[in-house]
Order: sequence, then structure tokens, then C-alpha cells
Amino acid sequence: MMQMAIASGKGGVGKSTITASLLYLLKDRYRFIAVDADAEAPNLGLLLGVEEWEEVREHVGAKVAKINPESCIRCGICYERCPYDSIHIDEDGNYFVNELTCEGCNVCGLVCPVKGTITLEPARSGVIRRATTKYGFPIISAQLDVGRPESGKLVTEEKEWAKKLMEELNLEHMIVDSAAGIGCQVIASLGGADAAILIAEPTPASLSDVQRAYKVVQHFREPAYLIINKADINPGFRALREWAEEEGIPILGEVPYDRAIPKSMAMLKPVVEAFPDSPASRALKEIAERVAEIIG
Amino acid sequence: MQIAVSGGKGGTGKSTVATNLAVALHSLGTDIVMADLDVEAPNDHLLLGAELANEEPVNQFMPRFDYSKCTKCRKCAEVCEEHAIVTLKDGTPFLMPVLCPGCRACEIVCPVPGAILEGFRTIGHTYVTQTPYGFTLVTGKLREGEERSMPLVVVAKKKALEIQKKEGGMLLVDTAAGTGNTVSKAIEGSRLLIAVTEPTPLGIHDTELILKLGKLMKLETWVVVNRSDLGDVGKVAEIAEKYGAEIVAEIPYSENIVKSYVSGKPIVLENVPEAKIFRDLAERVTAFLGGGE
Repeated sequence: MMQMAIASGKGGVGKSTITASLLYLLKDRYRFIAVDADAEAPNLGLLLGVEEWEEVREHVGAKVAKINPESCIRCGICYERCPYDSIHIDEDGNYFVNELTCEGCNVCGLVCPVKGTITLEPARSGVIRRATTKYGFPIISAQLDVGRPESGKLVTEEKEWAKKLMEELNLEHMIVDSAAGIGCQVIASLGGADAAILIAEPTPASLSDVQRAYKVVQHFREPAYLIINKADINPGFRALREWAEEEGIPILGEVPYDRAIPKSMAMLKPVVEAFPDSPASRALKEIAERVAEIIG
Repeated sequence: MQIAVSGGKGGTGKSTVATNLAVALHSLGTDIVMADLDVEAPNDHLLLGAELANEEPVNQFMPRFDYSKCTKCRKCAEVCEEHAIVTLKDGTPFLMPVLCPGCRACEIVCPVPGAILEGFRTIGHTYVTQTPYGFTLVTGKLREGEERSMPLVVVAKKKALEIQKKEGGMLLVDTAAGTGNTVSKAIEGSRLLIAVTEPTPLGIHDTELILKLGKLMKLETWVVVNRSDLGDVGKVAEIAEKYGAEIVAEIPYSENIVKSYVSGKPIVLENVPEAKIFRDLAERVTAFLGGGE
């Protein structure tokens, strides 16, 4: 059993497009589940042509503070003590919690001198969904409600569900497509993985962000691999490859910039299915062979 | 006065639009402070060809226990919403630092003065950089391995607001990808939200999420369609209309923009057709903020 996570630091460098293609290319060789762990902008399902979710579970993990205006004495202590400046005053001088920025720490409730005025209420943080792709393998995908905290917890829940499904369906591997960034969602994605595939493009911004993602991978002491996407958009930029060589990160391959990719997206198909002979697809097929060697 | 550039999906061109807009607004005579609140992946300085300066650590509170005073009452552990404090069988508390959000709930409930002492850890840094284009850039950068970006967004934004107060003018915020509460924190207080997207099914899906957030926050929202020739802009327009937002600019895929992006020189100052798109956008922003449009 192998758990493999795909991360990049920077968003939009091709995590989900490359993941969708690799899943497509490996589907007949391995029994796996795909996990879309980008709960704030989940796209893997779209790229795999998922039209309907077979099961949707609400996740009521978040908590948000609520101020009862009837008993509030307007002392303003909660306003001063909120670590995240999430308490505001309306035009009539009433204090209220901005649910879209509240972290649910309950400091306001603890400092409020009038018992029962500020309560911590459970709130829906989002949904986790399951579908079987038309390619036969299952996918789990989370979607955070907008303005909610702790998308990382949603990702952890997702992976728990995925593990149960792996047992039920007798699957061997889990492929996790993580979010942009290096925060809780990415940490939850990388935690427990056996290998990490990093995706970057040859630009200073992508290099800077993938270096940060790699540091998180190092925290978990996982072997890392690199795929260079849009490899030809910035000729002369060697810093990405040099960094990978210095760190001893094997480069699994380079995917050229190819208009077949946005075209395949519009068709809601992995590029390797929609345009199997395009330059990007040819590169992805070679990369899939390397990934197969890693999975073993 | 504050405006924000966001977009939902990563890599749609938020930072490209934000940096070019900042340079264009400044060259139109608007005093501007820029805040890069994409604390997990801050890149605006790279796009502006500037090196981050004036680093300051962001130290977050962490409880330290004075076990000679602790009565092992377990209140600190009970109140910690993140379960960052665990207790032994006899009630002795221990902290798991990575889980601690620094909210001080434990300190507030501790009944023994001095049993919880002030400790801290550095969760990241802020930077205040003079850009080559005459305006100040405030950057927040989360330390690798830290899970929570919210505290850093709060600190970096406060810093940007202080500088804006001192220097006057407008604050232009660039947010992270996504639509969670750290993005709403970055956007909060804006007069205008500019959502940058691309016309792929993925971009369109995530645009809907950011427009939803804009609507919940009751913000005037504009849409900029980047790489507009890579998909169906009509579909973006449909979603925009549904949320009462308007498409204000379309930027076709352009090698000139890629070149400016990788060389750290905003394209808006160059003599190429793409520059006009950003200048027009800046003029439109100025007109909106000045005249209320």
C-alpha cells in the first residue's frame, strides 16, 4: 500500500491536470483511490469528468462564536481580546462576530463577563463527497464552505474516509492531490504519505514556493520527486533544475507548454485521453512510467 | 481606502494583476501601499523585482507551564479548542506546540496567577519593502511547517494598515488562493474586490466560490478574465452575472506577460499592447473609488 501526495506550493502550476493524467494512465495497472485535498478550490473531480456525487457527507466540524445582543452589556472586552479581530461593532453599537473570519477559539466567550452571552455554536464547515469516476476508480473530494476555518481538518476527514473505502473495495494505493500553499491543508495531505511528488514551472515564483513545499515534505522525511510543468516557457531559467539537483530530488520528467491542456480541460478530460499524441501527453506517458517504478 | 485582488483558484494571475495594478495606480498619481497576504506562497516581491527587506519575526503566544504553581485542574486543556494541551493521568498539562493557535484561552481560564507563563514561537515573518516603483510592499510569510496562516495574515494586514495610515493613500491587498477564512480576513474592509480567473471549467468553478464570498461580504466585485483565449469567457460572464459582478478586463495569453512575469518587471510600464489593459483597469479603479461610479 502506498500513499502518494502531489504538492506544489504555488497554485495553478498544474497539480490537478498532471494528477488527472497520471491517474488515467495508471488506472489499469493499479487499484487506487484519488483524493482531491484542495478543499478551498476542488477541481480534480471536474477534470475526471465527475458529474454527480454518489454520497455527500456534511461536515460540522467548525465552530463560530455568537453574541446574544439581548444580554450583551456592550463592555467591549470581547472586541479587544479577539486574537483575530473578528468582532465588530454595528451602526447601533452592537457587537457581533464576523462568521467569515472567526477561528472558533472561544476567547470571546471566556472573557465575556455576562455568562451565556457569547456561545460557541457548531457550524457546517463543508462537505466531503464520493464518486466513482468513469475510469473505474473512486474519488473523494472535499469542499469547504466559503469563509470557514480549518480546511486541514476536512482533508484529514477525507483521508480517513478514503482509508475505509480502500479496505472495503480492496484498493492498494491512495493518490492525494493537495491544495496550493504550505498550510494546514497541505500538511494534512502530506502527513502519512509515503512519497511526495512536487510540481513546479521554471519561474522564480514557482521555484520559491516549491522550495517552501519541499521544506514541509522534509519535516515528514518523505522521499520527494519533481515534475517540471510548462518546462519550455522560460528558456534560460536553470535555477529550478539546479535546485533539484542540489537537493538530490529526482526529476521525473518535463511537460512542455501545450495548448492541448486547456483544450482538454474544456472537454473535462485528462489531456492524455483527449489528445494522446500531443507533446504534453507524450511527456506525461513517460512520467507515468517513472511513477509506476516508484509505486512498484 | 482598500481594494483586494483574489480569485479562488491558484495560479490564475492574481499576483500579476495585483502588481501591475499597483504600479499603474501609482503612476496615475495614487498613493499606494501593497500587502501580499498570500502568506503561504508570497510572490509579489518577485514580480516587482524587489528583495524582501526589514524582516521582523511574528511571535505568537504559547503557554509555558510553571509546574510548581500548577494545580493540575485541567481547565487549560478542557478549554483548548485545538486540543493542543494534553494532560497526564494526574492532570499535569503538556503543550503540543504545532497545534497551539496562540489564542490565550488557556491563560484566561487558568485559576492560579503565574502558573501559565508567557512563551512564544516564531510562526513567520513580515517584511516592509520599498519597491523600485515608488510604493511600499508589506509581505507576510508563514514559516514552513506552521499550519495556521490566519494569525500571520492578521499581523501582516495590521502592519500594512498602519503604514497606510501613516503614508496615506490606498491599500491594495493580494490574497492567497482559496476561499477560506484567511482569504476573507485579507479581503475584509475592501471597497472593491477584483476576482481574477481563467475561462477553464476549473477557473469558472472556483470563480463561483469567490463570488459567493464577495456577495456574503457585500462587496462590489469585478472579474478579470486572464488567459481569456483559453476557454469560454461567456461561461464566466454567466456566473458573474448570477452574483451581480461584472467582467471588467480580458487578458489573452501572452508571451510578453510571461516574460515580464519571470523577469520581475511589471508589463504595465512597457510599450506593448498588453500594458494598456492594466492601465485601463487602473483608470477604472480610480474612477470607481473617486466618483463612486
